[in-house]
Amino acid sequence: MIKEYYRPKTVSEAEQLFKRGDNKFVPLGGGSVLSRSKEEDLCVVDLQELGLNQVEVVGHKAILGATVTLQQLIESDSIPIHLKEVIRRSATINIRNQATLGGYVVSTDGRSPLGIALMAMDAVLIWHPNQETQSLGDWFSIRQPRGYWIKGIQFNLNVELAYEQVSRTPMDQPILAVAIARWASGRVRIAIGGFGKSPILVLDGPEDSGLIEAVKNALSDSGDEWASAEYRQAVGEVLVRRMMNKNASDYQG
Amino acid sequence: MKTVSFSLNGIVLHWEVSDGETLLTSLRREGYFGVKFGGCEKGECGACTVLLDGKPVNSCSLLTVQVNGKNVQTIEGLGEHPDQGWKKTPGLHPVQQALVESGAIQCGYCTPAFALAAKALLEKNPNPSEDEVREAIAGVLCRCTGYLKPVQAILKAAAKLRGESDEQDWVDDTVFPLPVDWPSGEDEPTVPENESGAPRRQVLTRRKVFMPRMFITPEVRQKTLSRIGKPELKVDAIKLVQGKPAFAADIEKRGMLIAKVLHSPVAHARIKHIDLSKARALPGVAAVLCYKDIPRVVYSTAGQSDPIPGPLDTFSLDSKVRFVGDRVAFVAAETEEIAEQALKLIEVEYEPLPAILDAREAMKPGAPIIHDEPEYVNFGESNPQKNLAAQIHIDIGDVEKGFEEADRIYEAEYVVPKVQQAHIEPHVVVTYWDEDDRLVIRTSTQVPFHVRRILAPVLGLPVKRIRVIKPRIGGGFGGKQEVLIEDVAAHLTIATGRPVMYEYTREEEFIAARSRHPMRIRMKTGVKLDGTITANEMRVLSDTGAYGCHGLTVTGNTGHKSMALYVGDGPYRKSPNIRFYADIVYTNTPPAGAYRGYGVPQGFWPVERHMERISRDLGLDPIAFRLKNAIREGELHPFSTAWSEGREPRPEIIQTVGLEECVRQGKAIIGWDQKFGNPEWHRVPGKPYLRRGIGVALVMQGTAIPYLDMGGASIKMNDDGSFNLLVGATDLGTGSDTVLAQMAAEVLGVPVEDIIVYSSDTDFTPFDKGAYASSTTYISGAAVVKAAEDVAEKIKKRAARMIKERYPNVQISPEEILLEDRKAIAPSGEYVTLEQVALNALHHTDQEQIMGIGSYYSPVSPPPFAAQFAEVTVDVETGQVTVDRLVMAVDSGVIVNPVTASGQIEGGMTQALGYAVCEEMVYDHHGQARERDLVDYHIFRANEMPQLETVFIQTYEPSHPFGVKAVAEIPMDGVAPAVGNAILDACGADVFENPITPERLWRALKAKRQVADH
Repeated sequence: MIKEYYRPKTVSEAEQLFKRGDNKFVPLGGGSVLSRSKEEDLCVVDLQELGLNQVEVVGHKAILGATVTLQQLIESDSIPIHLKEVIRRSATINIRNQATLGGYVVSTDGRSPLGIALMAMDAVLIWHPNQETQSLGDWFSIRQPRGYWIKGIQFNLNVELAYEQVSRTPMDQPILAVAIARWASGRVRIAIGGFGKSPILVLDGPEDSGLIEAVKNALSDSGDEWASAEYRQAVGEVLVRRMMNKNASDYQG
Repeated sequence: MKTVSFSLNGIVLHWEVSDGETLLTSLRREGYFGVKFGGCEKGECGACTVLLDGKPVNSCSLLTVQVNGKNVQTIEGLGEHPDQGWKKTPGLHPVQQALVESGAIQCGYCTPAFALAAKALLEKNPNPSEDEVREAIAGVLCRCTGYLKPVQAILKAAAKLRGESDEQDWVDDTVFPLPVDWPSGEDEPTVPENESGAPRRQVLTRRKVFMPRMFITPEVRQKTLSRIGKPELKVDAIKLVQGKPAFAADIEKRGMLIAKVLHSPVAHARIKHIDLSKARALPGVAAVLCYKDIPRVVYSTAGQSDPIPGPLDTFSLDSKVRFVGDRVAFVAAETEEIAEQALKLIEVEYEPLPAILDAREAMKPGAPIIHDEPEYVNFGESNPQKNLAAQIHIDIGDVEKGFEEADRIYEAEYVVPKVQQAHIEPHVVVTYWDEDDRLVIRTSTQVPFHVRRILAPVLGLPVKRIRVIKPRIGGGFGGKQEVLIEDVAAHLTIATGRPVMYEYTREEEFIAARSRHPMRIRMKTGVKLDGTITANEMRVLSDTGAYGCHGLTVTGNTGHKSMALYVGDGPYRKSPNIRFYADIVYTNTPPAGAYRGYGVPQGFWPVERHMERISRDLGLDPIAFRLKNAIREGELHPFSTAWSEGREPRPEIIQTVGLEECVRQGKAIIGWDQKFGNPEWHRVPGKPYLRRGIGVALVMQGTAIPYLDMGGASIKMNDDGSFNLLVGATDLGTGSDTVLAQMAAEVLGVPVEDIIVYSSDTDFTPFDKGAYASSTTYISGAAVVKAAEDVAEKIKKRAARMIKERYPNVQISPEEILLEDRKAIAPSGEYVTLEQVALNALHHTDQEQIMGIGSYYSPVSPPPFAAQFAEVTVDVETGQVTVDRLVMAVDSGVIVNPVTASGQIEGGMTQALGYAVCEEMVYDHHGQARERDLVDYHIFRANEMPQLETVFIQTYEPSHPFGVKAVAEIPMDGVAPAVGNAILDACGADVFENPITPERLWRALKAKRQVADH
């Protein structure tokens, strides 16, 4: 439950709050998750006036401020269309108008489409104050902040993203999701989700050989109350094969 | 505390709020009741939508302090009633006006959210596509409408805002023709397909009123009616679209306490020790109650007529808990936060008992006994020693002989899940003592009179000291045909003397409310090679959960309706052989109860899947096979002499069956003949792993419970010739207040706006059994007609006298008077206005209050019938199913209001679609629920809907004054089996358990391949 709320107008004002250390200060993005927190005596620091709501493109790199909302990304000309579709699947418009990218990443679980896609794209968190960077995979595995708050998230725009999921209905949460990112260099990263506490990185390599086996291995222990591991393995293979075939035909085309 | 300065609906305000308070809480505390509470934790329902700097957001997950310096808009700032006496206003916003005119408002609970989301969209995008509209409102869940009419309304509003005000410009009938009564058998043009070959998305017109298609039988055509059959605007639409404080929680009472319940964390246990002292000592806590503090009165929470047709097995609080979510203690406190803190301070020591979580274990020897309390009151065959809440054995004809005469016997087991009503307004009640020391219960219920009767002994109050007020209801679907939480607030009001509000969270709806009974159903059917059914048997194991509420009657209906449809042909038609056996057992899971369809959807999943499989195995056309064996007009309802909800059965002849016409029209709309059996259509070009399929299910329901359900109505005339119509019937969003007003208006010769409807209040309105069993239009409607006829007779007598006085040469008897156009008219044309009649009666001559009463119960339960069709696309490699299109052709008798009725069909089909593909409630081996919110329990959103189409086949049911039957429940029955059959058609895979999740279908496909390999 939130005990205290602060809305600093400057970065230094915000830093002072985190430096105090006499309370449990946590950064607040849009509030879509944190506002309903049951955790005792939270003190939240609202980042909305720190100018972190910018979408910047430098060369092939997108640098997204932590308080950019998901809807802002959908409406941005800089965001690739496939990623926009993943964002659309990740939250309804009401939530997209409110939820920030930083908040979304922090609260990502294994069934969060955008989290899975960003992991495949090798997105990197930039922490304040030391500009320390942290890979999304690192964050998902240890969930330890490297600073007071996430300043931004960056990823390469010259990456081709493919995303497929299986769900009970078109806009339902994924039972299984596969995201594949390909760089012009041939580098391939694949992340999967639809279960568990975080997306899983399956492969990061110079080519996609062994991809199907890697996915099946990663799904060998994926059984939960929503689907069996047997099912996820079989369907994971199907999705990956389709995505690879599609990529090949797109390339030929 | 902080001061928040912000603009609310254009006015700058400064509010003192605590740092952790949500905007929803602040707004509602300040009286902005148009912002609704949906009970959710993750912002998934969107009922609390406000515009923040012009964008829709969820106020439940926004801190009030976050809006400091921003602009907030609620529905209260959008538009208002245009006519406020001498003050004229700009009126409703075009979006609100369109929502009203398009029939987009059912319960109205989510309407303010839709209106705001639409406003935001149209300000940004004045000419949106249908997909863009659907995306813009996808943050708001609606359980009533199926989204079709809200989408149509928003497109219409967009056109209006663009200045396309010429009505002629709005008509676009190139694809969706105006309602027609096309000749029987004539095919409608099929809806064009898009380039990829898939059916086009919902094609929308911009007509002023969106009418469903209607087929009208000659009997109906002969009736000349002025109000019946017209798309009158809903009588409550204007208030709902403004977000007026119309719902149970929209009330301010000084000193009102907030109630919370401590729910059991274990599935089965005795409370060994409970210590409330710390909770009671917490400042701000007004009362904490456990089983030791209140009288131990056994009762049933089922909202049914007296005597309750089921066991009495429930206590307000008990020393034993029987499911995870069962009640342990009640708390009333000054705030919600304090109440929640108090719950944490209650110390409970449980003595765990073995639990039954699988219904198949319940009756095994040595199974733990869930109800061992001495106060248990049996009903019928219930036997708590065997965990048996009820049992049904029905044999019609000679079933064994029928099996012997069959060429083939088909047997299979089917499974249907537990599912939730998921009305967007949670259960909510406010209780308080009035100035006469009578307990007032303001509650969101479908059954106000049953609440009063059932709670009286529980609370130790006579019925006459309880008043139940039912305001608007934000959806019920059977979930509020239960006396579920009223006792909690009432006990706490008695304990404290103060008003108390108790409102379920969404999680409580899942762990502590009611649901549809899950069942395992074994079918055995004997068939001759020509397709004649010789005998049909259904054996059911029904899981009622921890309490037996509705167990007998729900499960009885599973057989009573679904097994009555196919009687057989030839000699079997005259003497069908049908068996229906059911065991309704207790388990340590949340109790099941009433849910729209009331056991019938459970029955039609196995029956219609079974019929499909039989017809395919015999090489028969699946529709012809069904129609050959289906019950026909003039035949005896086979179950009518065997069972009647635990009461004495009486024979009933079915007078109207529009099933063949339903099939004909439904087939034409969906293009059955072009698709079924056409291999080309089944393929999706370029995607070999996708297969298309088409399926059908025929269904029947009932209309009210014969010789039992009674509704009452009273009508009084006012000085201006308008009328107050008081009904005990409960409009839970269905539009029943409107259709009842239409019936009164028809008899009294006035426009609907002259009928002021009030429902319902046990102090003021006549008795009505409540909104269930598809009975309101039929039963309460007949009562309204009788009351109106009573009033009309008095008007005519007085009018005849007045006309004679005014025109001495006119010879006239009251029977000759015609009431029309607000006048009482003699055959020769002389007339007096109803206002003149009213003034004469109230003030001038032989003064009297012209009023009438009527009540009605029916000796019959005329079944509506329907043909439901589905088109699907199946991914044969992943098992993922996309439902592309649903068509329902329904024989519901005469349709009183085509717009509200089609809204019922669309909403019902959408709920049933969830039953088909995604909705279920699952428990782990400790009895813990997997689904606790509307994220995991997914219900369809606006941006993922298939195309929905409805056609009414209007037969004339002779047992009702206007020829009506029911429409509310039947759409639930056939969607799941039609989808299952379409999947079978697409890929040959047989799924026996719904919902058809990707893994279930994948396994069925795998099983099919294995069979093929061998």
